[in-house]
Amino acid sequence: MEEDLRIGVFVCHCGSNIAGVIDPKKLAERASELPGVVVAKDHGYACSDPGQVLIKDSIKEYNLNRVVVSACSPRLHEPTFRVCVYEAGLNPYLMEMANIREHCTWVHPDYPEEAFEKAFDLIRSAVAKARYLAPLETIKVPVTNKALVIGAGIAGISTALDLGDMGYETYLIEKEPSIGGRMAQLDKTFPTMDCSI
Amino acid sequence: MVDAGHHPKINVLTYSELEEVRGFVGNFKVKVKKKPRFVIPEKCNGCGLCVDVCPIEVPNEFDEGTTTRKAIYVPFAQAVPLVYTIDMDACIECFKCIEACGKLEAIDFSQKEEIIELDIGTIIVATGYDIYDPTPIKQYGYGRYPNVLTALELERLLDESGPTMGKLYRPSDMKAPGKVAFIQCVGSRDDIHEYCSGFCCMYTIKNSLILREKYPDLDISIYYMDIRTPSKGYEEFYRRAREEGIKFIQGKPSEIAQDPNNHNLFIYSEDLAKGKAIRDEVDIVILSTAAEPRPDSRTLGSKLGVTSGPSGFYMESHPKLKPIDTPTEGVFIAGSSQGPKDIPYSVAQGSAASSRASRILSSPEWEIEPLIAFVDADKCRNVRKKCGICETRCPYGAIIAPEGKPAYVIGAKCHGCGTCVADCPEGAITQLHYTDVQIVAQIHAILREKPEEKILVFTCHWCSFGAADTAGNSHLKYPPDNRIIKVMCSGRLDRKFIYEAFRIGAGMVLASGCHPQDCHYITGQHHAERRLKAVPKILERAGISPERFSVKWMSASEGQTFSKVMKESSETLKSIGIERIKEENEKAKPELEKRIKTFREDPDVAKILLADEKVDIEA
Ligand code: SF4
Ligand code: SF4
Ligand code: SF4
Repeated sequence: MEEDLRIGVFVCHCGSNIAGVIDPKKLAERASELPGVVVAKDHGYACSDPGQVLIKDSIKEYNLNRVVVSACSPRLHEPTFRVCVYEAGLNPYLMEMANIREHCTWVHPDYPEEAFEKAFDLIRSAVAKARYLAPLETIKVPVTNKALVIGAGIAGISTALDLGDMGYETYLIEKEPSIGGRMAQLDKTFPTMDCSI
Repeated sequence: MVDAGHHPKINVLTYSELEEVRGFVGNFKVKVKKKPRFVIPEKCNGCGLCVDVCPIEVPNEFDEGTTTRKAIYVPFAQAVPLVYTIDMDACIECFKCIEACGKLEAIDFSQKEEIIELDIGTIIVATGYDIYDPTPIKQYGYGRYPNVLTALELERLLDESGPTMGKLYRPSDMKAPGKVAFIQCVGSRDDIHEYCSGFCCMYTIKNSLILREKYPDLDISIYYMDIRTPSKGYEEFYRRAREEGIKFIQGKPSEIAQDPNNHNLFIYSEDLAKGKAIRDEVDIVILSTAAEPRPDSRTLGSKLGVTSGPSGFYMESHPKLKPIDTPTEGVFIAGSSQGPKDIPYSVAQGSAASSRASRILSSPEWEIEPLIAFVDADKCRNVRKKCGICETRCPYGAIIAPEGKPAYVIGAKCHGCGTCVADCPEGAITQLHYTDVQIVAQIHAILREKPEEKILVFTCHWCSFGAADTAGNSHLKYPPDNRIIKVMCSGRLDRKFIYEAFRIGAGMVLASGCHPQDCHYITGQHHAERRLKAVPKILERAGISPERFSVKWMSASEGQTFSKVMKESSETLKSIGIERIKEENEKAKPELEKRIKTFREDPDVAKILLADEKVDIEA
């Protein structure tokens, strides 16, 4: 870690989803004191266009080489923020998230003070990890452009028909001797009352 | 249906089941088991002469057992493909069918099960649902009273080409009924299944209207808790039923009794509109039975890395934003396997799934995460002394330890579980993005202040982190004294992380990951479980109460479990008390220090350890 660390922390309000329980401004203030952090800001909706512009502009303005987004679950928005930092010239793997919504404000609304401490710890943890992040290149793999659809009821058949019409070789497997599934057992179906087959 | 059978791009494999899936997005290797039909499709012309001579009759599942079929059969007249099949469970091998088939020679008893291997880019799971069997609900008498039917049985009776040519009779005496009643939510929204099956209100209304059209004088009532008609055109449909004189009675019948002499049925219920208990005599009762997950959905799911929610239906990546995706990239879900759905919704999901799949299929290359492992050849002991532990840990055969040479990782095969990393005795392997130094830095950051008041929780990316997200999405509250550190797979959880956490003062540590059958990396969880088993004893010997460390396996849908575990852990923490924790930690320090020795040997990790110790001394 010889290079000079320049970490930016962005704390999202998520409307009132986060800000309704803890104060993102205060969180950002405290985060700005963490080692390596050169700027910490809050924003109403970090994932929105203006939120992303704030992150990108800050990367340029403060010459950031690491970004921590403290918002919702990375399972939701990690791809969003990776692309965001990438568009500002950073390697996407130099971004780390702290989940202060699903893991904090949404489950601790009755303990605002403790929730604040927890959110700060989660940010501190993300910043600590960010200090040791390294740029990574994604791996490109070839794609076999064939699809497998398991189950030939109405959902499986419509999937297969659409994929087939798009020109993809599609295998439709069905464990029964005939395709059709439940739907074939129905004579007339709602709301149109027509035959199902 | 017929379109799919004829489509030049669609290969229909009926009587076939998924056997095995290997590989990853864009590059799945799939084995499909094709069961023998004992009839050669190319030779069978569908004449049905074999059926006439076959002496065996079994209940016909297509007609919900209201009729019978032979051991050699086609499931229904419009079947695709229209090829006969011999049901070997029923067949007595009298070979009369071979004689009847004669010169066509379409019957072949020597057919064997066949395994077909396919190279596949994306997989769509559309395995549908099952119908709840209401026999266990004793008070409704299904299976005992002949005139109590399920909705799907009625569906077959109403079919013009069904067992009764579309006529409704009382099964007990084949007389025309004068009065019928439907009962809604049988097995849904109750102790059996918590969820609403969604489409039963609509199919009951539909069937009541079909009956009204066929039998204008028939007395029809529907017992319901709520009528749910949220989709387009549905409320209008419901209104029409009311206008056509279908009686809607709000109440869930408590019992159905039968007159043993004439098999008439008595429904005992409340009528909320009238505010009183009622007793109603009818000819036929139709139970609107719940939709439920397929019995084999979990087995199939574990082959595909798709987990099931508490209801047993498949779990989507995100309930709102990724309803078609699953945790396994390149595998999607459509239709009722994800939860009960009606036809329009299933068709729409089928189209959605095809579009999600085509994002991948239309690209010549797909980018995958580079979270792979690599070996530091200088540290690997395999050069001096035979080791190869890593090789035995890898679920994908991605790491090789050739004799006398350092181990190495085949990047394209490595899925990045980190199991080899955690089990390497020399600390020679590193996983990108989940390095020792990164994880130790997180442990130290979280435990910087008041460590003894905190519960450090290690989760895997797919399941237990997901469970914490689910708890959040459902706003299931729990105490705020826990902090999560995420790795990709519990297989990455090195015991040293736990020892280090206690060494620097943690109150409690919880390690978590998926259930064994759900592991995203096949056997990563298995190795974690094995490795972590020894930890409580070691901690105890060092002086740490064993209840301060626990291991919990949960799926991404188990928000309830996550929240419960957090509550219980918090109570345990409080019951032990800060003072005792501090004492125990102090006592355990020398032993724990020994256990994390290799961390001291890694210059980057050692720096973190030293930096914190320095701050502590200054403070
Ligand atoms: S051999 Fe089996 S399928 Fe053929 S006629 Fe006899 S019982 Fe039926
Ligand atoms: S487990 Fe470690 S030391 Fe043993 S062969 Fe693998 S890399 Fe080398
Ligand atoms: S064990 Fe896991 S991390 Fe190690 S080489 Fe195999 S897939 Fe990669």
